Amino acid sequence: MEISLSNVKSDFEGFNQLIALLQKTKDCAFGEIEVDLAGVTWFEANMCAPFGAILYKVSRELNSVRVTNVHGKLENILLRNGFLSNYGRAVIPDRQGTTIKYKRLETKDARFFGSHIDDLLTKSGIPKMSTGLFKKFRESIFEIFSNAVIHSETKLGIFSCGQVFPNKHRLDFSIADLGMGIRQNVRQNADLDLTAEEAINWALEGKNTTKKGPIPGGLGLKLLREFIELNKGRIQIVSDKGYWDFSNGESQTRGFLHPFPGTVVNIEINTADERSYCLASEINPKNIF
Amino acid sequence: MSTQVSIQLYEIVGSPLCIASDDGQKVHDQIAAALRKELTVTLSFLNVEGLTSAFLNAAVGQLYGEFSAEQIRANLSVSDMQPDDLVLLKKVVETAKDYFKDPSRFKKAQQEVLGDNDAE
Repeated sequence: MEISLSNVKSDFEGFNQLIALLQKTKDCAFGEIEVDLAGVTWFEANMCAPFGAILYKVSRELNSVRVTNVHGKLENILLRNGFLSNYGRAVIPDRQGTTIKYKRLETKDARFFGSHIDDLLTKSGIPKMSTGLFKKFRESIFEIFSNAVIHSETKLGIFSCGQVFPNKHRLDFSIADLGMGIRQNVRQNADLDLTAEEAINWALEGKNTTKKGPIPGGLGLKLLREFIELNKGRIQIVSDKGYWDFSNGESQTRGFLHPFPGTVVNIEINTADERSYCLASEINPKNIF
Repeated sequence: MSTQVSIQLYEIVGSPLCIASDDGQKVHDQIAAALRKELTVTLSFLNVEGLTSAFLNAAVGQLYGEFSAEQIRANLSVSDMQPDDLVLLKKVVETAKDYFKDPSRFKKAQQEVLGDNDAE
C-alpha cells in the first residue's frame, strides 16, 4: 500500500493527515506500507512525534513501513534529528546543533528523558533563553511527559520531537503517546460521557482530575496553560477525535472524523520572552503547609 | 534518639531531576514513616534542578490523605527550595487539601494506608 502525504504543519490539517494515514492502514497486517513524501516541501519537525507514533502503531501490526522520496532540506533535517534512522537510513550527526532529536522512550525513562532535554537545551543551535524561561520550558516538558506516563497507561512508549524557528523566536516541542486518550480516561475514572473535545476542555478546567487513588492530581495541564499564556505561546492537544488549540488567551476546539490513537501535546514557546517567572516573594517557606 | 530527621531528595531520587511520580512515592514513604513515628521532618531540596507537580503530588500531596493539615504543618518543613519551586509546592498542597475534602477519596486513602501497614 502506498500513501502520499502533503505538507505537515502543527495545525488541524497536519494532524488530520496523520490520522488519515492510520485510518487507511487500519486493516493492514503483515503488509508493506510505503509513506511517500515526494509531495512534501514543508514538514514541521516536531510533528515527527505524532507521525512516528502512528508509524510505530502501524508497524506493530507486523507491517513493513518505509518512508520514501524524502529529498533536499527535509531529508537533511529528518536524518539529523534521527527520525529516518527508524526507517532504514543511517544516523548522521547534527554538526550544526539545530535539530531536536526524535525519541521514543519507555514510560519508566523519565530520568533519561530529563537528561535528553537538558542536553538539547544546551546545544549551540538552540536559541538562548532567559534563565526563568529556560526553567519553565523545561518543567513544562517534564509535566507533559509525566502526564503521559500517569494518564495514558500506554505500553507502546512516548514519542517526542521538536523544531526550532530561530528567526521567528519560536521553539515547538511535541510529546505523543499511544495510550487510552483523555476521553476514555474521563469516562473510565470520572464517570462522564463527553465528546473528545469536551473531555479535553474538562481536563483543563478548575479542579477537575481523573485521579481517584491516594495521590492527588489535576495540576499538570493547568500549569502548562498558565505558563504558555504568560509566554504568549501556543498549546495544541490532540486526543481521540478532539483538537484543542490555545493561543493569545483563547482556546478553540474542533473534531476530527477519526481518532488519534492516544494523545499529543504540542507546545510552542516564544524564546525571546524575558519575563522572570519568579513570583517568589509571595510565598513564605514557613507557610507552605 | 533524635526527634528530627532530614530527608535529602537528591539522595533518595539519585538525580537532580525530580520528575516521576514513582520517585515521589519513594520520598513520600520516607516522610510518612517519620511522621508516623512523630518525628519532625525537614525536606531538603538541595541540588534539585527540576520538579514536576506529578512528583510533588506523590511525595507531599499524598500525605494529606493520611495526616491532618495540622500534623503536617507542625512536623514538616522544607529547606533549600528555589523561590519558584515554593510556588509550585504551595499549589500542590492546596490542590491536595481540596482533593481530600471529598470524603470518599480520604476514606480510600486511609484504607490503602491501613492495608499497607497490615501487610508490613
